[in-house]
Amino acid sequence: MYKLILKLAWKNSFLRRSRTLLVIIMIAVSMSMMLAIEGIYDGMVENMVDKNKRSDSGDISIFAKEYRINKDLAYMIKNADEIKAQIENMQGAQAVVLRVKAEGLLSTARKSSFASVVGIDLQAEERFGKFSEFLKEGSIDLQKQGAIVGIELAKTLKVGVGSKVVFSTQDIRGEINSIALYVRAIVQTTNISLDNSAIFIDINQLHKFLGTDSKNAMQIAIRGEDKELYGKLKIAFANLDVKSFLELQPMIKQMQDLMIIFNSVTFLIVMGVVFIGIFGVMYVSILDRVREFGIMISVGMHYKYIRLQIFLESIVIGVLGYLSGAVLGAVLLTYLEHYGIDLSAFSDALATWGYEAVIYATIKVSYFTTTLGAIMAASIFSVIIPLRKIKKLNPIEVIKAEK
Amino acid sequence: MIKLQNVNKYFFKGEPREVHALRDINLSIEAGEFTLFGGSSGCGKTTLLNIIGALDSCDSGKIYLQDKEIGSLDEESRTTLRLNELGFVFQAYNLIPVLNVEENIGFVMRLRGFSDKEIKQRVLEVATLLEIDNKLKSLPNALSGGQQQRVAVARAVAAKPKIILADEPTANLDSNNSKILMNMMRELNEKEGVSILFASHDELIMESVRRIVTLNDGAIVDDNEM
Repeated sequence: MYKLILKLAWKNSFLRRSRTLLVIIMIAVSMSMMLAIEGIYDGMVENMVDKNKRSDSGDISIFAKEYRINKDLAYMIKNADEIKAQIENMQGAQAVVLRVKAEGLLSTARKSSFASVVGIDLQAEERFGKFSEFLKEGSIDLQKQGAIVGIELAKTLKVGVGSKVVFSTQDIRGEINSIALYVRAIVQTTNISLDNSAIFIDINQLHKFLGTDSKNAMQIAIRGEDKELYGKLKIAFANLDVKSFLELQPMIKQMQDLMIIFNSVTFLIVMGVVFIGIFGVMYVSILDRVREFGIMISVGMHYKYIRLQIFLESIVIGVLGYLSGAVLGAVLLTYLEHYGIDLSAFSDALATWGYEAVIYATIKVSYFTTTLGAIMAASIFSVIIPLRKIKKLNPIEVIKAEK
Repeated sequence: MIKLQNVNKYFFKGEPREVHALRDINLSIEAGEFTLFGGSSGCGKTTLLNIIGALDSCDSGKIYLQDKEIGSLDEESRTTLRLNELGFVFQAYNLIPVLNVEENIGFVMRLRGFSDKEIKQRVLEVATLLEIDNKLKSLPNALSGGQQQRVAVARAVAAKPKIILADEPTANLDSNNSKILMNMMRELNEKEGVSILFASHDELIMESVRRIVTLNDGAIVDDNEM
């Protein structure tokens, strides 16, 4: 019985081959475009999140209680090196770095700008966030008063690799001190604040310059996505300010929410198109076959089996459209994941928002599973109205009409 | 087998254009009958056939099939009754276009849950009897009108219903095909013992049947055994 219904559904799905193929192509193209847009949107945000984590806050950051309110050298984490060692032994912690920061003035012979000097351990930063991948120009080297400058800050000061700059700030004793630095590299982290104002130097040199204890630090940044790690750190270091990535970057959270809205709107529009496409084909197809259904009912086929047949016809179209769309979408996403989409023409505008000029897509299984569910739902809902016509069908009327 | 008691049927009841389609019909049909409901166009023969076939309901009176009253059944039960007890042959063949001859003949059997083996065996048997066994894999649109009507008869008879109702089965056929079809239906009636009721004004059918019930303006005016 069900074999017969399946056969009827399959054959009727292709009764008007060109019409069915047109809908399948429509579903496939709109779905693949939607998948590509979803991938690009998510890729933009994930890229931003990834670079921010790698260049700055990690998944979790720890500060001294007052530091984030008053960025004063007095608010350093005491014995940060011991805490770092302790965290490294905790389950879920993948990499830990210490950073020392100070705000001041960065000058050339002709220009000066506000800057934030960040003392880093290059080897640790490489393990933590592959710091060398941010390199735009020069070579990653902090030896002999070497410095690495954020790309926007370099543009502001009009400095390049080999330029000499002077950084001035107040040291731990309250004295205004200056240090001459040589620009060895320019980096682009796509972290707006770092690109606009950061100058990276060796952490030990910065300690020496500021007169701070080399055991202390302003920030302990931790990589590790274990959800329990945050809770454990909160308990273990209750006297410190333990913050998760999203607590530190509320704007990125907003950006993520915005992308979810963009994706949802795109999803709804595409599913609306799919619904209308399947509805159109099924409605016409059912109206074309009213007499056939009338005959089936008159020879003893129950309405529930006709309903099942129509649902299956609709699902066949939906599934074929989905499979074609999934293949096309996967190809498109794979291309965009590897080669990205080059928006260099808008690079300045994108940089303002912390995006790179080349945006790479992300591929998630959920894109495909959610779309499958939505297409199934659209297939089922699209035949409800045509089915009501069949339910009201009086076989006598059909038989009379044919005479 | 079939008994109608004071059956009345109206169309557009209560409206100015009301039609009294069947008037106080009292009729008994026994198993194995080969009967024609005749009369001029609009006399009510098709309406009578539809009511016996549980395709339509009456406004008053009782209809018994195998001593079971069927007039008051709901739509679902009437569909089940049609499936299990009755076979239909329509004027316009009404085959399912996407199914081949074999699948069309076995359609009702599939609905009734016969096994693949039973269906295959019975389809071949009926198709051989109706001389369409060489067309089993053809689609309906590849057949002539006469062949299509034979497939329709085969579909009606394959599941071994107790009664076959045929409404103007020869209306779309030429005289030669009509003769062939009637001979086959008579053979089916005699070999399979199935009751066949026709609604028609075709003289060929009148010559073939064993009983003619004549209607006029919705009432039975004559009932002759041949």
